[in-house]
Amino acid sequence: MVIENVLPPFSEWIRGAALSWLFVVACLTIGALVLGGFVLIVRYGPVAGTRYAVRAFFGCISDLAFMSPRRVWALSKLAVKESIRRRVVAVFAVFILILLFAGWFLDVGSSDPAKLYLSFVITATTYLVLLLALFLSAFSLPADIRNRTIQTVVTKPVRASEIVLGRIVGFTIVGTVLLVIMSAVSYVFVIRGLAHTHEVVMESLKPVGTAPPGQPRPRAGYTDSAQGHRHKVYIDSSGMGHVDSEFGHWHEIEARQGGEGYVLGGPEGMLLARVPVYGKLRFRDNKGSDVDKGINVGDEWFYRSFIQGGSPAAAIWTFPNVREGKFPEELPVEMSIEVFRTYKGEIEKGVIGSLSVRNPRTGLIAEVDVFESKDFVPILINIPRKITKFSSADVIASKRETPEGVEYSPPQNMLDRRLADRKEFDLFKDFVADGELAIWLRCLEPSQYFGAGQPDLWLHAADARFTTNFVKGYFGIWLQMVLVIGFGVMFSTFLSGPVAMLATVGAMVGGFFSDFLTRLSQGTVLGGGPFESIIRLVRQENMLTELEPGLRTTAAKMADVVAEGGLRVIAAILPPFTNFNYADWVAYGFDISWDPWIWVPTVRALAFLIPVFVAGFFFLKTREVAQ
Amino acid sequence: MNPQRSFVRKIVYLVALVGLLLVLSWLGQPSTGDAGGERGEEGISGLLRVPNLADLRNRYHLSETQLGEIDPAGSTIKLATLGLRGVAANVLWEKANNYKMKKDWTNLSATLQQITRLEPHFVSVWRFQAWNLSYNVSTEFDDYRERYRWVIKGIDFLREGIRRNEREPMLVWDVGWYLSHKIGVADEVKQFRRLLKEDDETFQRWGDFRPAEERDNWLVGKDWFARAEELVDKGADLRKTTPTVFFSHRPMSQMNYCEALEKDGIFEERARYAWNRAGKEWFEFGARHFMTADGKRPFHLNDVERFDGDAAKDVATLEAIEPGLRDKIRKQRYDSLTAAERKAYDAPPQKRSGREWELAYQVQEKLKVTHEQLARAIKGQKARDAALKLAREATDFERKATEIRTYRNIVNFEYWRRRAQFEQSPEALAARKYVYEGAQAMSAGDLLKAREMYEKGFAQWRLLFDRKDFPELKNDEALGQDLMEIVYQYRRVLDKSDKPFPKDFPLNDLLQLHEKAYKDRQGIK
Repeated sequence: MVIENVLPPFSEWIRGAALSWLFVVACLTIGALVLGGFVLIVRYGPVAGTRYAVRAFFGCISDLAFMSPRRVWALSKLAVKESIRRRVVAVFAVFILILLFAGWFLDVGSSDPAKLYLSFVITATTYLVLLLALFLSAFSLPADIRNRTIQTVVTKPVRASEIVLGRIVGFTIVGTVLLVIMSAVSYVFVIRGLAHTHEVVMESLKPVGTAPPGQPRPRAGYTDSAQGHRHKVYIDSSGMGHVDSEFGHWHEIEARQGGEGYVLGGPEGMLLARVPVYGKLRFRDNKGSDVDKGINVGDEWFYRSFIQGGSPAAAIWTFPNVREGKFPEELPVEMSIEVFRTYKGEIEKGVIGSLSVRNPRTGLIAEVDVFESKDFVPILINIPRKITKFSSADVIASKRETPEGVEYSPPQNMLDRRLADRKEFDLFKDFVADGELAIWLRCLEPSQYFGAGQPDLWLHAADARFTTNFVKGYFGIWLQMVLVIGFGVMFSTFLSGPVAMLATVGAMVGGFFSDFLTRLSQGTVLGGGPFESIIRLVRQENMLTELEPGLRTTAAKMADVVAEGGLRVIAAILPPFTNFNYADWVAYGFDISWDPWIWVPTVRALAFLIPVFVAGFFFLKTREVAQ
Repeated sequence: MNPQRSFVRKIVYLVALVGLLLVLSWLGQPSTGDAGGERGEEGISGLLRVPNLADLRNRYHLSETQLGEIDPAGSTIKLATLGLRGVAANVLWEKANNYKMKKDWTNLSATLQQITRLEPHFVSVWRFQAWNLSYNVSTEFDDYRERYRWVIKGIDFLREGIRRNEREPMLVWDVGWYLSHKIGVADEVKQFRRLLKEDDETFQRWGDFRPAEERDNWLVGKDWFARAEELVDKGADLRKTTPTVFFSHRPMSQMNYCEALEKDGIFEERARYAWNRAGKEWFEFGARHFMTADGKRPFHLNDVERFDGDAAKDVATLEAIEPGLRDKIRKQRYDSLTAAERKAYDAPPQKRSGREWELAYQVQEKLKVTHEQLARAIKGQKARDAALKLAREATDFERKATEIRTYRNIVNFEYWRRRAQFEQSPEALAARKYVYEGAQAMSAGDLLKAREMYEKGFAQWRLLFDRKDFPELKNDEALGQDLMEIVYQYRRVLDKSDKPFPKDFPLNDLLQLHEKAYKDRQGIK
């Protein structure tokens, strides 16, 4: 699975994030106060304006501080009733319709049906729930204000903050209930959609290999075709069967009771939640020096770096906290690497690579596995606790070139080569130093390359429950929904319904494309900023060639600088919705860990919601003041 | 605004609405099954019988049902985009590019399906993305079996496009191309051809129940080229594709099949039959009716020899009217040359300076006596008239032959015709077989057998070149280079056996003709 933005652990992240948030909130608060005060002074004069400003400021503080949970709850119930009256169940009906006809849209011949189904249900649910949240939140308050039904609320001793919070909570409750139902239906849809089995084609079973005397020869054949694929079947001399993995799954096989033939169970290995432990990746170049990045083989995507085969080059992952308790018997290493050939070589064989373990402190390294690579398919290598089979063992120092000279780790004079003169090693005693273990990946064939990104090799710590992971995936949708509700209610406090809806859509689109907006604001997107792009579009020029120098180009570039500043602000204040999307985790079968993948986005969502709520309350309060 | 003005305005709007509705209802009438105006009615009736939209749709085969199978999912998605179909397709296309960049093949595949559901009749989308799958995405995989699977995915994608656009010959042609060339000319050609032959599931999915032995990629591709030709013969538009290139691929697939058979070590009767069939199909291709690029003149690729013959006959008759007249005129012109011109023209080519080359070329043009010039020089009005007629005819035949040769060169027509002819001869079949066995022996390390087989092969080639029915064969450059490759394989066998290259090598004349070009090409000193 690709993880382009790796999150640090929550405890590491929170410090810096909290400080930045406080700083931004403080700036926004001061800015709002200054602007608000200026507007009031201009409108009512310096004395009255200042008085109103001070009164409004302290009124806001007391409104926020003295909110009544009981009143908030009452208003939430009102919001729920209103939503039900507005037939929100229709969304659920649309969802069911989509699922019923999903077969028309889904590619049944896909090589990874689990991924496709899971991506589909999560994406469909996301769009529907966000649409629901959008319409509920954007139109509610404006409709009340237009119909004057808000009077029945504001005439009671209710604070503006309670009105805003009550609506947010109420719509969240409605959305949550629908989301729970949709997640249950999606789960059933996925399970049923993927369920299938095969029959072994008995005529296809042919003898292969040899057998001990007196025993039948093993046989190989295949199953019938179902859902666009079939499996290879092997039956050994003892009659035990094995089904090859195909399309990301296999089936258990057993002999039919009281009859000839074999029975296959349902698909296995499709719906997973592997608990990965990721390490930190660095590279070793073909001269043996440590570098941060490997070679670029010409790929337009820089996610993976490559190492040269048949050379000292290696990709090195360093794992912290590798403890015996976590991996008592063996160390399961999984990797999904990319292969780049500069010549075809032996077409029917994969490029050979090796995996080594190294002690970061002593430099002891042992090559524990030599494998044939398969790109885009996870390879599992179990490194046993007692390492007796290894191709080579040595003691080497890693070296890094610095401005001061070459640094060795461990220092050359501390290398003890006798450590490698053994026939057996203990994984933890010999290779793990203070919980730290380094795993080296090398390509053994000259002129061929292996490519890897940091998340491409991981320790398969455990298997979590798929159902729990599925629920966590929907939690991401819930976070997005709450954000949309927050923005929708906030915009609806001072805009009409349709305009609030458009504004919320704008915030959503900006949020979904926040990566692009950030890159645009940094000027790293090909084709330049907005004004330069307009020139290129009108003149039908491509994105790579420089514009003709002149007044027009200079003016456009200057305007772009200003626009980029604005975009930077917008990108910063809009929530990055893609960061709350766990579809890939669930689809690729990786457990969404609480730390940091749940805690960090949750706190991030809260960090956006609090200012949005305060802004909404302030705008609603200002309307009262204005009236 | 006073009430009267408001009332008048409403009446005006009403009249405009009614007028527009009338026009719309007339345009949107159901088809009469007859494109009006062609019935030749006169007066108002004729004017009113101008084809409406439904008639035009029928005439140009534009309705959804006439384009191909209707896809309910696609229609649903199109409706759901509320008029923003183009925008949605653009967004999805960007997403597909992004998935391809990030090597997310599952999502790429799914997104392409969605794009084609939105734009099912945009042929370029099908062709572009099918190419993307079979040629670009497939190469991203290291495992040859995965590469093969993605080539087949691209073909399946095209087949889906064909179902939606049944009258598009280029989609059908593309399937033929992918099956024949993507599989047959890949680095993994051995593996791909084997996988295709074993791919029961794919053939079942295609509704193609031929036995495994007949699943040669060239033959399967050829069938698709034939289907594409059928569509064009029924009136489908080739758009910008050159017709000679389009129609050449079916017989070329047969030729490539013959070569593939021999590479697989199949000779004798099966290969002979295949080459024979290739020759027949090439002749049929040559007999096909084409139009010149300007669309004004029809031609057949086979006609060159006929026009050459007719031209030669006319020229012979023309020259017989006054024998030796052409040489006389040429001599007169030569005598009128300046000294410099004569010097340049008479100098041996390798000794000419740059200026002399120019002059010599100009003199050559001056000394050319066209048929018309010859005819005009003939004495006697009656004879001159007859001569002029012959001259014009001969010139016309020569022009036609030259024009057709240009088209022939596009598809290397003469080479493949000659190849099909001589490859089916017993000498060629035997030569190929011996060379194949020699190469096999060389790979197995049996140098003695390798040498023996190569030498037997060269003896057969000698017999072939000595045949009176292939007089120009040894001058054929492509065959010459092919043979040089075999000679150099033989040289490697001799080197490994420490034997010298024989002085009485049976193909020494071929070496003189082609070895230099081969060495230059291979960079051998």
